[in-house]
Amino acid sequence: MDIEMNSFTHNGNDAAPHSSNGPVTASNTADVTCRASEATETDSLLTVQVSASNGQSIPSSPTGIQKNAHTPTEPRTISNIRRELNEVVFWKVKMWMVIAFILLLILLVIIISVALCSAIHRDPDETFDPSLFKVPVYFNGSFLLPNLALKEEQVTSNYSNQSLSADLQNKLADLYRYSPALGRYFSKAEIRVLWNSSVTADYQLKFLMPEEQQDALRNFTLSREMVYNVFRQFLYDQEPGSSEPLYINPRSLKMF
Amino acid sequence: SMFPWQYLALLLLIVVQICKAQRCDEFTDLNFGHAFIGTSIRVKLLLYTRGNGTCATLLSHTNLSAQPLLNLSRPTTFVIHGYRPTGSSPVWVNNLTELLLHREDLNVIVVDWNYGAANVNYLKAVENTQKAAANLTAFIKIMQEHGASLTSIHLIGVSLGAHMSGFVGANLNGSIGRITGLDPAGPQFTGTRPEDRLDSTDAQFVDVLHTDMDSLGFREPLGHIDFYANGGADQPGCPSTIFSGTSYFKCDHQRSVFLYLESMRQTCPIRAFPCSSYSDFLDGKCLDCDKFGAAGCPVFGYDVTQWERVLLKLGQTKTFFTTNSMSPFCITSAYRVDVIIWNRDARWGYITVKLHDKGTEAVATIDHKSTKFQKYTETRLFAQFNKDVKSVDKVSIMFSTGNVFKPKYKLRVLRVRLTHLERKDRPLCRYDIVLEEKTEVTFRPIPCEESNF
Repeated sequence: MDIEMNSFTHNGNDAAPHSSNGPVTASNTADVTCRASEATETDSLLTVQVSASNGQSIPSSPTGIQKNAHTPTEPRTISNIRRELNEVVFWKVKMWMVIAFILLLILLVIIISVALCSAIHRDPDETFDPSLFKVPVYFNGSFLLPNLALKEEQVTSNYSNQSLSADLQNKLADLYRYSPALGRYFSKAEIRVLWNSSVTADYQLKFLMPEEQQDALRNFTLSREMVYNVFRQFLYDQEPGSSEPLYINPRSLKMF
Repeated sequence: SMFPWQYLALLLLIVVQICKAQRCDEFTDLNFGHAFIGTSIRVKLLLYTRGNGTCATLLSHTNLSAQPLLNLSRPTTFVIHGYRPTGSSPVWVNNLTELLLHREDLNVIVVDWNYGAANVNYLKAVENTQKAAANLTAFIKIMQEHGASLTSIHLIGVSLGAHMSGFVGANLNGSIGRITGLDPAGPQFTGTRPEDRLDSTDAQFVDVLHTDMDSLGFREPLGHIDFYANGGADQPGCPSTIFSGTSYFKCDHQRSVFLYLESMRQTCPIRAFPCSSYSDFLDGKCLDCDKFGAAGCPVFGYDVTQWERVLLKLGQTKTFFTTNSMSPFCITSAYRVDVIIWNRDARWGYITVKLHDKGTEAVATIDHKSTKFQKYTETRLFAQFNKDVKSVDKVSIMFSTGNVFKPKYKLRVLRVRLTHLERKDRPLCRYDIVLEEKTEVTFRPIPCEESNF
């Protein structure tokens, strides 16, 4: 409040020479320097110039007063806002701090809620109740194990019929268990290995599906095409010409 | 002592030949000054044949026998330019005549009406098209009197030249063999009656290309077949702001000629698909070409005459195709991509497909709109690749929704099938993939089996 008082007295001092319409004084410094530089160009007109400038400065003097009151480029409204922003609300907290805090709070609430929403978001496709899956669906077929046929004696010594079946069963079970579309429906895989001139494996896959939407599942997700091709593309992803004993020839895969 | 004389005679002969060869007639080259003052119509006919290749000879409008190079037993193709606001000669004219002669043994006649087309006042140039058309009609009638058959005449008109071709054709009761309109002019012609512009009754076969229908070109179909390159409005590689100078105004419009030239070079065919709109075309709704039989959908450009008979039967066919931004403009590799998902709720998004083959990578971004995917319903996408990949080793697919403040959705795919549109290869399939938003999934596709869903 002290500052305001000071500036008013300053205003009064300033205005006085103008209203008295006396000779040019330091009241409007900008004006004077300007005219002076003009004057140097045409010396003979010096006095005329000065008096003319003096006359012009009179009507504009009220604004001139205000300009000098505060920092020179601030209109009244801005200075008012500034004053209000600097008002102390309580303790050392000023108005602008309160406003900034509120804005920050709004932003924070938005960010938190967005983050929370994405974190909380539960994918409806990942929620299911396995206890409802009761209706069994079976797929039967066969495939060839070419690497076992080649070195029959050598491999049979390493591989008992049982352990081979178990390994193949695990291989199939893993393949279907980790399938995003089929995994939840997969129940078990059974393998029976036949040692002829070539080594053939017969398999049976069991899936369980819920009672509702049976037809849609049978036609799409648990269709023969899906179950067969998930197996098939898995076989195509194997290293071609691999010497691994469990290598399955992709072209030999059959499913009924 | 006889020898020097013989050599001298030979030398003289060569000099005469050189002098003769140098007397080529050229396209009238005017400048902006002429256009500013305005020019009145004066039609010059420049003849190019395989006998005089790149050196034009001026034709008399009345006395055809004065020019022995003009052989009326050959088919004749007229090249007609459009509005010349600066009076310069068209940059493409020599390329076009050379390619025409390369393809066929023709009389190529460049109709030089630069005096008449060079005028800052477009309306005057439009007025002059009728006058030039009358002039050309008279000339063709004289050709006919000298034994030329109208069915062997082909008019190739650019912009205003396309409408001029239409006027000439109408004057001759539509008995001319073919008119090709390259981005026919729109201003002063849009919304006019068929007799005041090019239309399909002007020749036995009218094929039209649209490349700038939103400013200098014509929006509606005008011929038996209308090609809308990249939808017909904006061409890839053309500036979209005025800061690029004059090319901003003419790039889209001029592209029509460059696309036509490319079709004559036969670098790669541009297949055009009949469709009611460009967005339907981009949605892959118009990839069925069965009605054209074994030939498939029409190939854009000079050689579309192979489809003339079926197109005439169909009456009017609107076709679309997409191009690259540079020569050769053809998109050589296009696939139909069919996706079927098992997500409970419908999903919307964009798909980017990449094809890999030992180091080369072709990309197709399907982002003209957000595509809807629905459970157990096949969604058809149309993927146009920037490169051709002969044998696809691996495929990458990325799904994106463009959402910022939403959780990352997953597209749970039962099957994705890629079918090449040109090659009769077995389609490529992949089953059971989860496409998490903005995460590229790469896989080795397998040959599809016949499907049940």
